[in-house]
Amino acid sequence: MYNYVEDGDSPARAHAEGDEAKYDAFMTRIEAGDKIEPDDWMPDDYRQALIKLISMHGMSEIMGALPEKEWVPKAPTLRRKLGIMAKVQDEMGHGQLLLRVAEDLMAPYGKTREDLIEDLLAGRLKFHNVFHMPTKTWADAGMVGWLVDGAAIISQTNMLDASYGPYQRALQRICQEEVFHAQHGESIIMALAEGTDEQRAILQDSLNRWWEALLMFFGPASAETTGSSKQDIMIKYKIRKSSNEELRQAFLDKYLPRVFSLGLTVPDETVHYDDKQERWIYKQPDWARFKDIIANKGPRSQERLTLRTIAYDHNRWVRQALAR
Amino acid sequence: MSDETPFYQEYEVFSKRSHKTPLQYQFSLLAPNDDMALFMAQENFMRRQDVVDIWVVPRQAVRSLTSEERQKLTQRLDNKDYRTTKGYGYLRKKWREKEQGMLDEKEIMSWKEVKKT
Amino acid sequence: MTQPITSADQAQENVAYLRALKELLYQLADDDFIIAFRGSEWLGLAPHIEADVAFSSITQNTMGHAVMFYELLEALGEGKADKIAHERLPHERRNAVYFERQNGDGQYWEEPYYDWALAVVRQLLYDTFKKVKLEAITNSSYKPLAAAAEKVLLEQSYHLAYWRMWLEQLQNANADARSRIQQRIEEAWSCIGDVPVLGEEKDAMEHYALVSSESDLKAAWLRAVTAIIDTPPNRPFGQELGNGRIGEHTADLHQAIDTFAEVYNSDRKAVW
Repeated sequence: MYNYVEDGDSPARAHAEGDEAKYDAFMTRIEAGDKIEPDDWMPDDYRQALIKLISMHGMSEIMGALPEKEWVPKAPTLRRKLGIMAKVQDEMGHGQLLLRVAEDLMAPYGKTREDLIEDLLAGRLKFHNVFHMPTKTWADAGMVGWLVDGAAIISQTNMLDASYGPYQRALQRICQEEVFHAQHGESIIMALAEGTDEQRAILQDSLNRWWEALLMFFGPASAETTGSSKQDIMIKYKIRKSSNEELRQAFLDKYLPRVFSLGLTVPDETVHYDDKQERWIYKQPDWARFKDIIANKGPRSQERLTLRTIAYDHNRWVRQALAR
Repeated sequence: MSDETPFYQEYEVFSKRSHKTPLQYQFSLLAPNDDMALFMAQENFMRRQDVVDIWVVPRQAVRSLTSEERQKLTQRLDNKDYRTTKGYGYLRKKWREKEQGMLDEKEIMSWKEVKKT
Repeated sequence: MTQPITSADQAQENVAYLRALKELLYQLADDDFIIAFRGSEWLGLAPHIEADVAFSSITQNTMGHAVMFYELLEALGEGKADKIAHERLPHERRNAVYFERQNGDGQYWEEPYYDWALAVVRQLLYDTFKKVKLEAITNSSYKPLAAAAEKVLLEQSYHLAYWRMWLEQLQNANADARSRIQQRIEEAWSCIGDVPVLGEEKDAMEHYALVSSESDLKAAWLRAVTAIIDTPPNRPFGQELGNGRIGEHTADLHQAIDTFAEVYNSDRKAVW
């Protein structure tokens, strides 16, 4: 699961002087819908945008396993224990696929997976806003599987035709597994929605707490909101097709009717579909808070990083023992 | 650069879904040695599909086309009908005139079984 | 010789047989369940990502085996599998004590100083034992159980080969890894004495040919383990933490139950 979040770095130059012919040939291939492979010539800003996008996507999968994992050993039935274990395992697996893609892109800079992990632990590599949030009840495990994954599916399927071959192929695999994730989340939610008063109450409470994070998921509508945006370069290079706001609208289109059909409400009384504008109207989330969250100042940012740091440091002896 | 010792090697992973299907490329992974790579491969890439065989190949052992070679060495003129059945399509009509069927791929591949005597 | 028993109904006709059979099933189910629970705590924390994914598959399979055994108990009138897994008190549980030990210091959600050497040694000891016990059960007089054992063994080969690879690679690696592994083996040796024990229904289990004899199990397991580990301790297994096969357990099992039954216990009647 993922969406790309900007952190305000200045973009790399597209290409060095003298590379105009290569750049033109590259753009011709992009326009023709060709897939770019790791050892093909590519402009620096393409490579760097991909590294940022895919390493953040990959690390968000790895960090995203943690909030749900809190409920893996606690899942309430044998069947749920098995289902959520398989689901969180997939998230780790998605991290594996994506980090491999990012590692190959970084190889020309002499960087490896360790560098990625160390960048994450040092706060240089961001992970997605939703994974800085607490999972307080079993309903949150369902909410992550249903709506957080739902949002992730919207943004990931939007890149199924991405111009970068290895990423596009990883996404094919990932999106196929997301179908299982979507139904896994729906199944947990459905049981709660049709359950006892208490079960419905924890479900509504969960949605109330996750709503703002879900709106934030797709990033700000434009660069003015947070100071920078890479959406233009993503679209120019055919990495993704749609803008942040288009994706958010698609998410609301697909999921709000389902939310309401379960008798749930969202904590924003202004939410409605405007027939004339053909879009959902909603109250903007607090984008300053969004910036704080992805700067590792979210409610659970430090705890999750600590968990990852301990696992990494405490197992170092294993990696050293097996080093050649 | 990291101060970790070099633990990871890149492996390319291939698998066969059944004895009738060819080896298929799966993905790549990092592992410290061949045995680990093989064991990791099965559950990282084939946990939802049948698998009857797995190959792991250190990436450095693979000589693949370079970027330039891919552009240059994979181009062919579209004049190779003589290598395919496409160039013999007219036979269908000829045989039909003689009230015979065409021995096309579907027909020939169906000859696995012959009448027992 | 006991005639083959082919159904749960038939097993319920003989009270003594039924009691021994259930005891054996609880051992098998509880071992798999607690090992899988400890495995599920590891998810996301293994030494590297690819290993994490592989470990989780093994954990899921193992929990799937626990479900098969709980369902055999369900068929014998013990109640729903979920109830059996989640509601029983510590003294009602029959897993060996070593398998309930925590994965290391700390909790999985907060500062998990989990030890991979413990994971590898425990999983290796468990999977060598599981193979020996299940093989002895493939000839069981209770045919539904014999059939389940055959099925589980098919899948379990991967588990044993996986942990064997880890153990052999680490004990052949540098001095640090070797000593960490050896330390965990020594520690295990002092508390795995109850693993091959058949418990209070031992005589009936042997009499009704539900499983091979306890002494055969123990000898076969020891042979399997010593064929893999370089320097097995030259002393008998101890039972320093008690005998789980008769319901003796440690505080670590309480922690496990509090965790895996937390949501279930919040409303036992609800549909989850």
